[in-house]
Amino acid sequence: MRKLALAVWMAGAASGAVVEELERLALVATAVVDGDDCEKIMTPRALEKMFRTDPRDRWAGHDNFDVHDAPYIAVKKLLRRIATIVSFPVDCNLWMGFRERPDLIQILIRQPNEMSQFWRWGDLYQPMPPEMKEVLAGGKPKTVTGRGDYVSVMTPVFNSLGDPVALVEVVARNFK
Amino acid sequence: MNLFATEAPRHRANGLGFSLCLCASVAIFAQEILVLPEFQRPTIHGEIVKPDQGGRRREILSPAMPQNGYLSMFLVVKLRQPGPYRLDVAMNPEDRLQADLFRVWFHKLESNGEYYPDALIPIQNTYLGAIPDPENRIEGQTAAVFWLDLWAPRRAQQEDEERVRVEVTLNAGGQVDTYPMEIRVLPISVPDQDALDADHNSYGADWLGQGPELFGRLHAYHRIFYEHRGIFHQLGYGHAGRVAPEFAPQLEGWGRRRRIASWDLYDRHYGPLLDGSAFGGARRGPQPIRYAYLPLNPEWPASFVHWGQPGYEAEFVSVVSEMERHFREKGWTRTRLEMFFNHKKRYKGFPWDGDEVRFARDNQYFRDYRALLDKAMPRDSPVQFVFRSDSSWSMERQFWDLRGVVNLWVLGGSILSFYPQAPALLKDRGDTVWFYGSAAGVTEPAWASVHYPLRAWMWGVDGYVLWLVTGWGADPWFRFNGGRETLVYPGERFGIDGPLPSVRLKIERNALQDLAMLKALETAMGRQKLRSEMARLTNNRKPDDWWTIPRPALADLPPEEWTNPDIDSAARPMRRVTEGLSSDWWPQIRRWIYEQTMEEADR
Repeated sequence: MRKLALAVWMAGAASGAVVEELERLALVATAVVDGDDCEKIMTPRALEKMFRTDPRDRWAGHDNFDVHDAPYIAVKKLLRRIATIVSFPVDCNLWMGFRERPDLIQILIRQPNEMSQFWRWGDLYQPMPPEMKEVLAGGKPKTVTGRGDYVSVMTPVFNSLGDPVALVEVVARNFK
Repeated sequence: MNLFATEAPRHRANGLGFSLCLCASVAIFAQEILVLPEFQRPTIHGEIVKPDQGGRRREILSPAMPQNGYLSMFLVVKLRQPGPYRLDVAMNPEDRLQADLFRVWFHKLESNGEYYPDALIPIQNTYLGAIPDPENRIEGQTAAVFWLDLWAPRRAQQEDEERVRVEVTLNAGGQVDTYPMEIRVLPISVPDQDALDADHNSYGADWLGQGPELFGRLHAYHRIFYEHRGIFHQLGYGHAGRVAPEFAPQLEGWGRRRRIASWDLYDRHYGPLLDGSAFGGARRGPQPIRYAYLPLNPEWPASFVHWGQPGYEAEFVSVVSEMERHFREKGWTRTRLEMFFNHKKRYKGFPWDGDEVRFARDNQYFRDYRALLDKAMPRDSPVQFVFRSDSSWSMERQFWDLRGVVNLWVLGGSILSFYPQAPALLKDRGDTVWFYGSAAGVTEPAWASVHYPLRAWMWGVDGYVLWLVTGWGADPWFRFNGGRETLVYPGERFGIDGPLPSVRLKIERNALQDLAMLKALETAMGRQKLRSEMARLTNNRKPDDWWTIPRPALADLPPEEWTNPDIDSAARPMRRVTEGLSSDWWPQIRRWIYEQTMEEADR
């Protein structure tokens, strides 16, 4: 029965229904995720040590990585709830750039299906993909495919000053 | 009593036709069989690999072995010229020992192109091969190498030494060479009970493929470690909480309606491991696995979306209670089932470190989960749920902060060396203590595979964990990563749907046998005396030299300020204890253990 349901859902996915659903979630994410909360997640100490390179200690940034629980949990739970709007597995991951390093970005909150088109396993931060740069610069969502069978809608998150300070990757598998 | 008197130095082994006295020009063209001890791994030319040089070269003629245990050695085949050969291993009497013969694979290192022997491919006791080995594809190879495991079952009434003739015969180019040995089976036995838990860790099962054969493969990996006196652990969830379906019962509902919908996959995976039936026919006899991870993590069985709210507790307690009932009803009560949090903040799934806590405030999560676990477990349950913490930076602080919360401590080996009082502190309150580290790589001396077992025994802890033993890399055969993350290899290349053992795994097993015998001596000789003797036999040291004493200044700084180089530097004195050891080291210890055991048996 479950296989049948999956087949029916996959047929729907092929018609683009998945993309439409993800775009709907992306709109919700931009509307309800608070960029000010996102900016409170990293501890200043972790941010400061993140980019300090020590040739004798290549894991120094990783070992000092730390977050403030309260905003992290609040944003993570909110993103989890957004994902439950649809009936198939979706992850809403939070990505954040760095003021001093606009060429870099980090995934800051991952979700339990462990899906992403962009995350490089184990990397604390990584070069900003052009798709993300475009979303942050333009302030508009963008649908991205092409890596494996994933489809992601990247959508901006704004703080109270109206600045795009983060983005949410709404991601699912796009069976065709 | 010298149990090894007939294991003569090599140059005295004349009369057998393969003495080292042969001049080099003859040796190049000689056809011969060599037998080398397990700590002297051969090269592709039948010499000894560089890391294992430095000990005395010995001819193995009449080695001693205990019952209920293994004796192992390398067989080296050299031919006059490239070509085919036939190798036979025969025994008389035929039924006293059981022989397992393996072809040794030479791995080409990606780093420098050198070859090291490690993977062991099981073969029959009659083997048709060729030099160079067409599968191993080594240009200029002049020697084929085999590993021989001899198993001596325990005989109830054996009071005297028994002798078994073992003959290795090489037939090539019309010439037949025989290497005869007389194996002396001693009237002493390796205890069934191990001195230590030797744990071998891995992650997930994606690397085993899918399909109906998956469960057989999972059990085969457990079995290979079980048969080598070890434990195999497979963590079934990721850093953000994704649980692979075969590692957890299937759930349905949420909030107060959260429940287990199906045990099907979980029971097919774990049932044979928890009742021991996966190990039917093992020489050790079938027993349930001693430890297993539970799938519990911040996303399972309770959804993190309810963290800090009544729904989280309802989901957690309801499902874990169901699990306890299921295990109890099935009689799966002999395995210690671990609630263990492996996630780290750096992997961005959760806001606290479950593994290797560095920041003290993260300990509160451990207390919260202990409270949840206690709510889920009946007080008188025969099911053994334990709370495991893998600790490093802040372990000393955690010993106190998490007293009564954590009861299985898996501790970073270097940092634990700063705290010689820790094993007694933890064990006196009923906790179990292991330390962790990496397997010895193939470019390290063969004796390095024995270091952790002995260190665990010297430290008085309950065991140790090799953090990854299935990371053989993309091409372990021709572009090998060195093996610090694997002790087994995939058998598919050789038509085997399961793992292959390695030389290093065999060496570890043999050392665990020795330590089981050493532990059996504790009653008669006292643990302190035995520790002093082991320390003396290891570079003429003292037991305290196995620790970092005096306490390093680093240990008194807040762990948040430590760096990895600081730790390495602080633990350096402890590492000196094994510096400069040779391939003679462990055979000396083994001999001492056999001699003491024989003397005790005579009393």
